[in-house]
Amino acid sequence: MTFEPKIVGFLCNWCSYSGADLAGTSRIHYAPNVRVIRVMCSARIDPTFVIKALADGADGVLVCGCHPGDCHYSEGNYKTMRRMPLLKRMLADFGIEEERVRLEWVSASEGMRFADIVDDMTERLRALGPSPVKMALAGDAVER
Amino acid sequence: MPEPRTGVFICNCGTNIAKVVDCDAVAEAAAGMPGVVVARSYKYMCSNPGQEMIAQEIGDHDLERVVVAACSPRMHEPTFRRAVETAGLNPYLVEMANIREQCSWVHDDGARATEKAEDLVRAAVMRVAYHEPLERLSVDMCPNTLVIGGGIAGLTAALELAGAGKLVYLVERQPGLGGNVARVDLTAPYLDSAPDILTDRITRVVEHPDITVMTNSELVRLDGFVGNFTATLAVNGNDGPGEERRVDVGSVIVCTGYREFDASRATHLGYGKHPNVITSFEFEHMLRQGRIETKEGRLPQYVAIVHCVGSRSAEFHGYCSRVCCMTALKYAHEVKSALPGSYVSDVYVDMHAFGKGCEDFYRRSAEVKTLFLMYGKGEHPVVRRADPGDDCEMLITVDEQLSGETIELPADLIILMVGMEPREDAESVTRLVNISQDKDGWFIESHPKLDPVATTTDGVYIAGACQSPKDIPDSVAQARAAAARILGKIAKGKLEIDAMFAEIDQDRCSGCRVCNEICPYSAIEFDAAEHRSHVISALCKACGACVATCPSAAIKARHFTDEQIFAEIAGVLG
Repeated sequence: MTFEPKIVGFLCNWCSYSGADLAGTSRIHYAPNVRVIRVMCSARIDPTFVIKALADGADGVLVCGCHPGDCHYSEGNYKTMRRMPLLKRMLADFGIEEERVRLEWVSASEGMRFADIVDDMTERLRALGPSPVKMALAGDAVER
Repeated sequence: MPEPRTGVFICNCGTNIAKVVDCDAVAEAAAGMPGVVVARSYKYMCSNPGQEMIAQEIGDHDLERVVVAACSPRMHEPTFRRAVETAGLNPYLVEMANIREQCSWVHDDGARATEKAEDLVRAAVMRVAYHEPLERLSVDMCPNTLVIGGGIAGLTAALELAGAGKLVYLVERQPGLGGNVARVDLTAPYLDSAPDILTDRITRVVEHPDITVMTNSELVRLDGFVGNFTATLAVNGNDGPGEERRVDVGSVIVCTGYREFDASRATHLGYGKHPNVITSFEFEHMLRQGRIETKEGRLPQYVAIVHCVGSRSAEFHGYCSRVCCMTALKYAHEVKSALPGSYVSDVYVDMHAFGKGCEDFYRRSAEVKTLFLMYGKGEHPVVRRADPGDDCEMLITVDEQLSGETIELPADLIILMVGMEPREDAESVTRLVNISQDKDGWFIESHPKLDPVATTTDGVYIAGACQSPKDIPDSVAQARAAAARILGKIAKGKLEIDAMFAEIDQDRCSGCRVCNEICPYSAIEFDAAEHRSHVISALCKACGACVATCPSAAIKARHFTDEQIFAEIAGVLG
């Protein structure tokens, strides 16, 4: 059986969540591996959310916001744009691979783009295998 | 973890959800989730019986929380908030799981979709446990409205609002009112005159004491929120630096219209190369001058009308511009009546005659001996200069679909039915009023069927062809609908605004002021005496940027708290 990664997606309400809804109304099919959590703006995505998702067993975390310049709140996505690379640098120190945390811009009209991103990320995570955090936690549980 | 008494309601949405997701299995799984005392699957949760079922179960089981697994919360969250409110529960104690748009409609593997739906329901159950009852804010509604654009939609909206005794500021970038309709002669399908439709409206708008018309003017900034906007306008800005003017408005209607497709981009049609290939707007101008003639001043014997120029093509715009087919038929009538001996041909892809009276109009056009030639979608007719021996000026080569033959069509005058496209400044307008564009550049409405004039920004409405290609009746209907929505809000006097704003825990705030800088709305004030920051709730738009930034974790995003999102994360991961 192929490994099916679980992806937690944090999507901003105005662009990306609408884009994901548009994929639905347009019946664009994609991998059922993503679980979406809606936030009002990508700037609400505290880095601890990403860490919490990885700690709770996510194999990957997808963060989506409005394209630069299109933020519903003027400039929230610029904050996300700066925050996520810092977080990724820190995660790398913990041995968490680059591909596991992904930041993408998806507008309200980009249902197809959202579907493509989910498919692509699912494919890459399948190849990468389960998250080391999950493996380590499972190992700890066995040792205990 | 708190475990309040929770009810879970799984909507089948007819078969929209149920044909992929096993709703009964989801209900069964939900019944075993923390705090869940009742879990039911039902055909249509948003229907009256569905909502009554929720209300009934709230009473029967003393429910403290409700989860509705159905469509997107962007679709029916207000519906279910109202439903629980009628049963005496605070509207913020309901949470939706999106198992339609983001599950059944995008997956075909039933088992995996069902598993996903269960994860989403678990996330909602665990999240809603941390929800708090919230009170909405009540603010005053300013009864003035800003209308952007003085075309048929803007004029109509302004008159409707002023007719109800409300003040309207109408800004128009051009020196005159009337928009694109002012460039048209007769209108299809009843052949009534566009100037007649327009002139009376323009006069009434200009003379109306409650409408302030500002031409050569534009919006440069919009601050505030629904019911309480301040619009900064550059008045008479086109002929100099312009004077800045600020007006207080409660609502904004964007009626910025469209521009026509640039025909020279469709090079095979020879626009700009052959002088007698003209656009529909140039032909309208000719009609308004009262004489149909070639550039050389001769009366054309052969007039050809080419449809779908820029529209319904893979190369330019995929959409149908909706008004061109009927306008083309109108031209056939106008040419035939002005030049009875002429030959008129319509070179089309499909004839779209969907509106009231339009199919009859199409039939009458066939009766006046218009020649209809059909070309294939994705192909294009090619225009070339005729040979010296021909009795016409140009020839159009068409791969005619119905006969299956390649036909050479004579033409002295060729009219290109140029489609509609978003204006070049559409993007800057979206940024000014904080709305979005779809993939083609048209402004996005709140809901394509149920809320076609509102936008994602409360208090900002759209009407007319800026939303999508539209004819005059539809533009007028939309403008009146937007005005009616606004009048409804004004009639209430007070506005309830969403209870989702940020709050700063004064005990935890260290007074570092990082949040002051991060807030895009300057909604956070620093109290120097107390050395603490606090949020001005009416200005806060609940983006949550400050919450994720605060180094002391002192800021709470109401309804999007850390605890709620952590619970949701734990929930989706089972």
